[in-house]
Amino acid sequence: MRRLPVYLLLDTSGSMYGEPIEAVKNGVQTLIASLRQDPYALETAYISIITFSSNAQQITPLTELSAFQVPQIEANGCTALGEALELLAKKADAEVTKTTADVKGDWRPLVFILTDGNPTDDLNKGLAEFKKRKFGVVVACAAGQGASTDTLKQITESVVQLDTADSASLKQFFKWVTASISTSSKSVEESGGEVSALSELPPPPPEVNIVV
Amino acid sequence: MNTEKFLELLANGKNDTDFEEFLKFVSDKLWNQYNKHLMDEILMTENKVNGIALNLPNASENKPYEQTIDFGDTKIAIERVDGLSAETHGLNVTVCDDKKSFKIAGTPDLNPIRNAGTEIESTFELTVFYKYEGLCLPPKKPLLERKLQLVINQDPRYLWKNIPVDWEKMSDPKYEKEDADCQYVTVKALPDGTPQKDIVAASKRGRSHAQEGKPRDDDFQLYHDEQTNWYVIAVADGAGSAKFSREGSRLACNVTVEVCKKALSNCEKFEENINLWHIDQKSEDAGKLVSTDIYNILGKAAHKAHTEINAEAAREKNRPKDYATTLLLAICKKFDFGWFIASFWVGDGAMCLYDKENHTSVLLGTPDEGEYGGQTRFLTMPEIFANPTDFFSRLKCRIVPDFTALFLMSDGVSDPKFETDVNLNSTEKWNALWDDLKDNGVELTDDNEAAKEQLLNWLDFWAPGNHDDRTIAILY
Repeated sequence: MRRLPVYLLLDTSGSMYGEPIEAVKNGVQTLIASLRQDPYALETAYISIITFSSNAQQITPLTELSAFQVPQIEANGCTALGEALELLAKKADAEVTKTTADVKGDWRPLVFILTDGNPTDDLNKGLAEFKKRKFGVVVACAAGQGASTDTLKQITESVVQLDTADSASLKQFFKWVTASISTSSKSVEESGGEVSALSELPPPPPEVNIVV
Repeated sequence: MNTEKFLELLANGKNDTDFEEFLKFVSDKLWNQYNKHLMDEILMTENKVNGIALNLPNASENKPYEQTIDFGDTKIAIERVDGLSAETHGLNVTVCDDKKSFKIAGTPDLNPIRNAGTEIESTFELTVFYKYEGLCLPPKKPLLERKLQLVINQDPRYLWKNIPVDWEKMSDPKYEKEDADCQYVTVKALPDGTPQKDIVAASKRGRSHAQEGKPRDDDFQLYHDEQTNWYVIAVADGAGSAKFSREGSRLACNVTVEVCKKALSNCEKFEENINLWHIDQKSEDAGKLVSTDIYNILGKAAHKAHTEINAEAAREKNRPKDYATTLLLAICKKFDFGWFIASFWVGDGAMCLYDKENHTSVLLGTPDEGEYGGQTRFLTMPEIFANPTDFFSRLKCRIVPDFTALFLMSDGVSDPKFETDVNLNSTEKWNALWDDLKDNGVELTDDNEAAKEQLLNWLDFWAPGNHDDRTIAILY
């Protein structure tokens, strides 16, 4: 069966400490719980979580929803976004099945990046590795005013912004990510077509602004 | 020192009343202090125990589960665990003899909750009640607690909704169609008892359509001519993305079977040519005659269906692609020398002549598969008829002494059962399908009319990620 891999890249730097990181934890919890109730997602969506602070770490490898356990997430350190992109590229190589003559491989992975600051490491190296791979829709979210949307635009066309990184906005963001995963998994199962642009995802709620 | 001496010292020369007040004061103060100390101890212990990482993998409904959860702390004595029961969740919790661990075992079943009409959350909370060695617990808190979350994934079968199509509200043209259909064509055994092949077919709306309240887009049509003994079978799969494909598939089946029926009711010349071809299969002339006949019957049937779908689209001011459908069409007849089979195929799915005894399976054409799923070819596309070489390659015919079954199926069946084109060419896989049918309640015995319902039930088979409409027709 062709899986729909979903990578969540979450900023767990020191600035996320307190309300934001609690909101992220709740967000992930709710995301998993809701997707478990969705028959399309339950069968096709596989989720991985990569967190980045002073280093990037894959805290949950690509896991089917039914076996997924929400990991511990803590905030401290800097914002190694470049390293996170490099790790994403490496993990996608290892975890996503390629299509060959005999095997229908996985769908192209969806990627959601959430950050509240600017990268403290060298973004370019990771960015170059990331750009070499084929991903499906990649959405980068600037949580609050601390993250430069221009920097995120280097990663992907699809950049969204939250006015503040408070729990209400983050909750809405995760709700939208959940709906986007649902839509994508339905699309691949029903029509065999991948979602390839932000415009094909459900419209984001008012708290999530699309950066043009 | 005796007690009297001790009291005398403690009284410090005060009278009894004062001394009593003093003792009450000291006692209260110390007890408070002691209780506070206990509460601190309890809190610290609970924090410590709450911090123990426990391995509690997710359970899934209807899949056996057994897990021993070990605290790995020698001072813990588990009294009981609340939150799960065999009656409500299908899971038993038992504290192990050493009281340091407990076991969850059973096959999760959430139907009791489901049937009570409660919405099911997949996460369930367990409370572990325990004592801790060396820790004195006050009567108002005789046991410590640790909360745990156990995920029980619902069986996806229950997550799929079966929403009826709202035909009232369906925009025009409605092209009403039943969610399921099945048919059995009995061809009675000959007077001498020789059985004759029958046809059975079933078609069912896929779960992904049921989930959305959308109609079935597949269709089929069967025919047997009592006089000439020709069989005609058509299966069509309307494209999921095309708005009126349910009508496209219906027209594709009806029109082609109608054309074949007419052509085969009076086809002595065709049968003569088949005879000639049988006598000398290498003969180019005979081969040409037969291919021309097949073109005139199957090719024209396909073209007529294409034209009629276009005409319907024009009548309703829709685009022909809104009626996009695949078509698998086969005609066959038993002669003295064996069976003649001819076919036409456009789109995905599978059409196969299967011979169990001789261990052969022959695909009657090649499925049109795009590089990506869902990029198949459709009968509605004009390019199907534009190139004669390409069009002729869709027509096949052959003569075989006998066979076990002729299968026609939409990709809703062939995708989950075969997965890849390589497998479609594997006789092992066709053996597996034949056994699968037999082992799962489809009795393909002569004149068994009940097989149509059995086949319809069989179509409910479970394959994750495969919830398309399913249609299968079997001549056997």
